[in-house]
Amino acid sequence: MTFRQFAFNNVLRNKRTYAAYFLSSAFSVMVFFVYAIFAFHPDIAGGKFNPNIATGLHFAEGLIYVFSFFFVLYSMSAFLKTRKKEFGLMVMLGMTNTQLRLMVFLENVLIGFGATISGIGLGLILAKVMLLSAENLLDLEETLPFYLPGKALALTFAAFLVLFVVISMFTVVILRGHKLIDLIKGSAMPKKEPKSSLLLSIFSALLLGAGYAIALSVKGTMVVVAMIPVTMMVIVGTYFLFTQLSVYAINKSRNKRSFFWRKTNMLFLSDLAYRMKDNARTFFMVSILSTVAFAAIGSLVGFKTMSTNLLLKENLFALEYTSYSGPDAQAKRDVETIQNALQADNFDYRMLQSVMIEQKADNSDKSIFIVKASEFNEIAAAAGEQPVQLKDGESMLIYYMNELMGKNATNAYPVSLAGNGIELKPVGSQSSHAYPMYTDYYVVADELYGKLAQADMKTRAFYLFDVPNLKATKNVGKTLDEKFAKGDNRFMSVAYNLSIMNQAYGVVFFIGLFIGAVFFVASGSFLYFRLYADMPDDKRKFSAITKLGLTDRELSGILTKQLLILFFVPIAVAFVHGAVALTSMQNMFGYSLMKTSLTVLGTFVLIQLIYFLSIRVRYIKQVRA
Amino acid sequence: MTEMLSVRQLNKIYGGKVPSRALTDINLSIGDGEFVGIMGPSGSGKTTLLNLVAAIDAPTTGEVLINGKNPHKLKKSELARFRRRELGFVFQDFNLLNTLTVEENIVLPLTLEGERVRTMEEKVTEIAKKLGIESILKKRTYEISGGQAQRTAIARAMIHSPKFLFADEPTGNLDSKSAKDVMEILTAINRSERTAMMLVTHDAVAASYCHRVIFIKDGQLFNEIHCGDSRQAFFQKIIDVLSLLGGNAHDLSTIRV
Repeated sequence: MTFRQFAFNNVLRNKRTYAAYFLSSAFSVMVFFVYAIFAFHPDIAGGKFNPNIATGLHFAEGLIYVFSFFFVLYSMSAFLKTRKKEFGLMVMLGMTNTQLRLMVFLENVLIGFGATISGIGLGLILAKVMLLSAENLLDLEETLPFYLPGKALALTFAAFLVLFVVISMFTVVILRGHKLIDLIKGSAMPKKEPKSSLLLSIFSALLLGAGYAIALSVKGTMVVVAMIPVTMMVIVGTYFLFTQLSVYAINKSRNKRSFFWRKTNMLFLSDLAYRMKDNARTFFMVSILSTVAFAAIGSLVGFKTMSTNLLLKENLFALEYTSYSGPDAQAKRDVETIQNALQADNFDYRMLQSVMIEQKADNSDKSIFIVKASEFNEIAAAAGEQPVQLKDGESMLIYYMNELMGKNATNAYPVSLAGNGIELKPVGSQSSHAYPMYTDYYVVADELYGKLAQADMKTRAFYLFDVPNLKATKNVGKTLDEKFAKGDNRFMSVAYNLSIMNQAYGVVFFIGLFIGAVFFVASGSFLYFRLYADMPDDKRKFSAITKLGLTDRELSGILTKQLLILFFVPIAVAFVHGAVALTSMQNMFGYSLMKTSLTVLGTFVLIQLIYFLSIRVRYIKQVRA
Repeated sequence: MTEMLSVRQLNKIYGGKVPSRALTDINLSIGDGEFVGIMGPSGSGKTTLLNLVAAIDAPTTGEVLINGKNPHKLKKSELARFRRRELGFVFQDFNLLNTLTVEENIVLPLTLEGERVRTMEEKVTEIAKKLGIESILKKRTYEISGGQAQRTAIARAMIHSPKFLFADEPTGNLDSKSAKDVMEILTAINRSERTAMMLVTHDAVAASYCHRVIFIKDGQLFNEIHCGDSRQAFFQKIIDVLSLLGGNAHDLSTIRV
């Protein structure tokens, strides 16, 4: 048996001990790789989508790399800790320090290599499954097709090669300075009592309180100004919440005997203080990352709902055709094409038309648009809007308004027209989405319109097609849109535009959801691995307490409560942070993001709940065994 | 004297690829208020016996009755309750919880039982006084000595006034002074509370505090000796049996005779 064979067999014949380390390494490789597949996707990198998406993905990839580094490092040090006794034995049998390090190094390289290969393999499968499910669940047409991810492969391989080599170097640091006696005894020394500072705890509560108060009270554009200081305050506050405030609260509860000495509280809480302190940094990282994911996804869903609603509210007719050169031959041809297309597909439709005069104002270069009251009323009635009542010589100002803009109504203002010197004095103003017009225009009485209209005037012609079954016109819309895309005139199909928007949001949404889900699963696994490392201690402790008399129900009760806190405290914090952030953003847009974002947060909680339940069963079983 | 513990025809065979017989046909009985030691060479089955009697492990055949109840026939949750109400345990490595203070460790069985805080406080004060550990009640387990730790463990085992106390090598990790203290405390409790005790030990000095010592060899009862008037003479008798068990007894006794 050569030394290399020894190191090799040590891993292969000891699979159980190495399994946890191997799996957690493979898991980080997998996550990183799947991300890389998306980030380097030719459709994303090729500018088919917003270039910010690719940048965002690469940034997330960097975060994951840092996360993986600590994850693997922690897994490894926990793994080495459980093997201290074995190392002690080897040193006792005469293994030199160099040989010991070489052995650990070789093992690490072996495990790292295996983990990278299997992580990439699993990642390929996962990516394919995810792309498929995205296609089916989100109803995407222009999905990201599966491709052979050469760049992603190379990056993952190189990144993790470096990671495992660097981490193997760390083993030297971890193993250095251990006396033989410490190695043989293992980690027998009990941990010191977790300490916390009252001052920092108060500081944390103040920062969080103030941050929330500011975020919830500012309105409008001030939100942007307040965003950075509030974010900083909340981040620092959250850090101390986990490292100080939580531990302080638990320690304080010790003095309240009627609470601390009740039933299993004592066992549950005394451990929790240690667990909180040990995991504080993980908690902090997870809750901040989750908050970002929550807020990003929440606002994304919000935006999507908002723009869909806006589109449907403003465009009341299935197809709209606007000729900027008036009712000329080109317009007539196009309208005929539209009618033929609608008839060919057996659509029940009604065409409404209107000619708008464009004139200059007397004292400025401003264009004044004027339509006939009878035409306007017909269209407004079809759109379900209020018609105007005008007597001869009267006019009415129509303005455009949407929910994103302020809620202030535009006041009617008079205007005198160039050329004929007629002055329009509107009797009032009202908002309307009946015409696809985004500037102010005037509706004038038919009699007055007759006076204004002259043969050589510049005009616009509107052709609006009212189809009762609006959503079904997507395909007709698409064909026509492609036909008219090159022309000067405006054509718009609501159903087709809606589907384009859904596609674009769907992809971004899918990536966002995926990023969030991965962070949750990764943090859950991180916690689980820490639990796993502490399990021998837990097992010893609970077997002793069982001898004193602890029922199975009490045991699983204690463990469940602990796991519940470990799993859901970061999410709960992120939930509150995210809710505040979304409320604040809502103040900025003046649009409610609550319902949609709650759905998103609920989904995440559900994922975490499933993960928690599966881990709980396993953990309790293992502690009892 | 009523019977506290009765063991009838107890057998234990460890399964696996090579089954091994750990205990064969053990019969014994411990009376109310009796302090009984179990001794024997390594591998003789002392600890197995203790584990079976305390229902930590299940026997292959045979019956154990503690205060008339068979703990192996109880449901798991009933067994847990039976333990924390009627049994006390003292271990070689103390088994105190590092995350709790000395005081909290002591009241643990009572908190599990849902006792009132006032009662718990009274009981802690009383037992701490008896065991001389009042001054360390607020300390953490890593701040106290081995002797203090074992006294804490005894306090934890006794705080609910159990009917039966099991001690597994309680002096195994202690220096001779602490060991003496611990044995004297156990004797005092045995006398004042009339708690029946079963002590598994290697240590002849510790065993000499018992009323009666039962010797086991290769999983079978070997001998049983009673303490007379003198602890010194009892100690000598224990040593004699031990050397007999060790195999060189005849050499020793011929020399002595």
